[in-house]
Amino acid sequence: MGTTWYLVLSALLFAIGAGGVLVRRSPLVILLCLELMLNSANLALLAFGRNLGNADAQVFAMIVMVVAACEVVVGLGLIVAMYRRRIPLDVDEARELRG
Amino acid sequence: MIETPAIDYGALSPIIALVAGICVVLLVGLIGPRGRRGLSSALTLATLAAAAGLLVWQLGEPDADLVAGALRSDGLSITIGLIVVAAAALVVPLQLRDPAAEEAGFGETHTLLLGSVLGMLLLAEAQNLISFFVALELLSIPLYVLCGSHRSRSRSLESGLKYLIVGSIGSATLLYGSAFIYGGSGGATDFTAIAQGIGADLADDPLVLIGIALVAVGLAFKVSIAPFHQWTPDVYEGAPTPITAFMAVATKAAAFAVFARFFITALGPSADQWQPALAALAAVTIVVGNVGALGQDSLKRLLGYSGVAQAGYMLTGLLLGTVKGIDALVFYLAAYMLINMAAFAVIAVRERETAYGDDITAVQGIGKDRPALAWSLTISMLALAGLPGTAGFIGKLFLIEAAVAGNYTWLGVFIVVGSMISLVYYLRVVAAIWMRPAPRLAPAMAGASTEAAGEPGLPRRTGEPGRTPSGAPSGGRCWLVLGAILAATAATVAFGIVPSPLIDFSAHAGEGLASMLGPG
Repeated sequence: MGTTWYLVLSALLFAIGAGGVLVRRSPLVILLCLELMLNSANLALLAFGRNLGNADAQVFAMIVMVVAACEVVVGLGLIVAMYRRRIPLDVDEARELRG
Repeated sequence: MIETPAIDYGALSPIIALVAGICVVLLVGLIGPRGRRGLSSALTLATLAAAAGLLVWQLGEPDADLVAGALRSDGLSITIGLIVVAAAALVVPLQLRDPAAEEAGFGETHTLLLGSVLGMLLLAEAQNLISFFVALELLSIPLYVLCGSHRSRSRSLESGLKYLIVGSIGSATLLYGSAFIYGGSGGATDFTAIAQGIGADLADDPLVLIGIALVAVGLAFKVSIAPFHQWTPDVYEGAPTPITAFMAVATKAAAFAVFARFFITALGPSADQWQPALAALAAVTIVVGNVGALGQDSLKRLLGYSGVAQAGYMLTGLLLGTVKGIDALVFYLAAYMLINMAAFAVIAVRERETAYGDDITAVQGIGKDRPALAWSLTISMLALAGLPGTAGFIGKLFLIEAAVAGNYTWLGVFIVVGSMISLVYYLRVVAAIWMRPAPRLAPAMAGASTEAAGEPGLPRRTGEPGRTPSGAPSGGRCWLVLGAILAATAATVAFGIVPSPLIDFSAHAGEGLASMLGPG
């Protein structure tokens, strides 16, 4: 099985993640979708690394996992702070700042 | 026997100093009472001064590849590093009386600020896809927290969450692009190796083409280039003002540094293929930013849109791929830092003195009773518009000159037209300062009715400690803040009249990339 299928899968995951960020309203689900986007990139990296016989991709993917964890920690922290302030957890409602 | 790697401690010293400072500031913040603003601020300033001193020392040293080629210390990274450190040093006095910093704790706020500065320094030095991504996240994650650090204001939390979501989309897009570039260049992560791996023709490899497009989109999110700018005014308005000031200036400087390094080092051979795409983005950004700023009543939103337009001007300097273009970019960034810090500082001071928040009403009629603030804001607005006698004018002049020399005269015309449109909204602020009467309602009474006064049920802004009920400045007018404002304004004017020191400074940046760049 060639690298192509892995890339197709990663592209699908990336698209699902990006679509989810745009469509879903709960900040928690949006965070999940952001993780999906990062992990699709990891999958692409690992597929390329395996194909090329190069270990840099694995190092990269490990680092991305650490960074993704940090991002989620901050995101969840903000969501908890909003919940405590009784701000509705719905990104459509959070529109005091209108773009 | 394991061979130990050679470590260039000299070139790494600014980063080491910052890391040490972060640890000290965090620990001092944890010991002792929460409101230890003086000690924490002094230590932060000392750390920044140490980093700045070491950066200046490195300016005279030869360029060096660090950490197995992951980082590179050269003219570009050092000049950008100095701009970032100076911006942070101007933010520290602004935070002294900031309600957000008081609520979140000074030790924590300053630690996060220094962490972000560290990320920016690393980003300016990054020349490897991995260090690029890590530095970008190290820059961004503390900023997400800082944006949301005013927890009792729902707008601050909202802006923090918005910035986190949009910033993470940008990072994820950039990462996905990096993966494709890694695959398309045959497993290269170093910028120079990528240049060899993908060659001069991008069109024959769709993988690389997709990768470059995604990386450019990710970077465009960070520097707020249209059409990826929508988050900018929202986040700028919601974040605590000192943080907005830092974010507007320093993030842009660091992200433009890596933008330039990536496109010129890794994609230099194929410059004529990506230049038109970036030129189109620059033109769109200039128009969108300037038109968007026209109808804004909130000064922070106005400066947000103005920042979008300025990003368009700066992108022009970057995409030319010439020494002159990079010099003009760094000059413009340095001038923009001084101007923006002064403007945001005035807004922050008025925000604390009146109940109008960052609305344009807050600066109405301040020409009479606060001449120092009024003149600083006036000069900043005129400098942002690019009027002669200010550093903003010289910066625009260089950008246009570089654009003409680099056969992008039409972009030079865009810069001129954009500046003309921008005069409308900058002069509106100047008119409010000098020609409108001060708002008639006593600020404390208006506080209840204006939206900017905070949510109902919360202690009104005017009722916070350190402020007299009338909303007038309390006895402790902060001279440090005024000093910072006046210093930045004086530098704006001084570099507008005698620009040669700043020209020499920015010339280091072009030298750093000179081997990759064309002349002219």
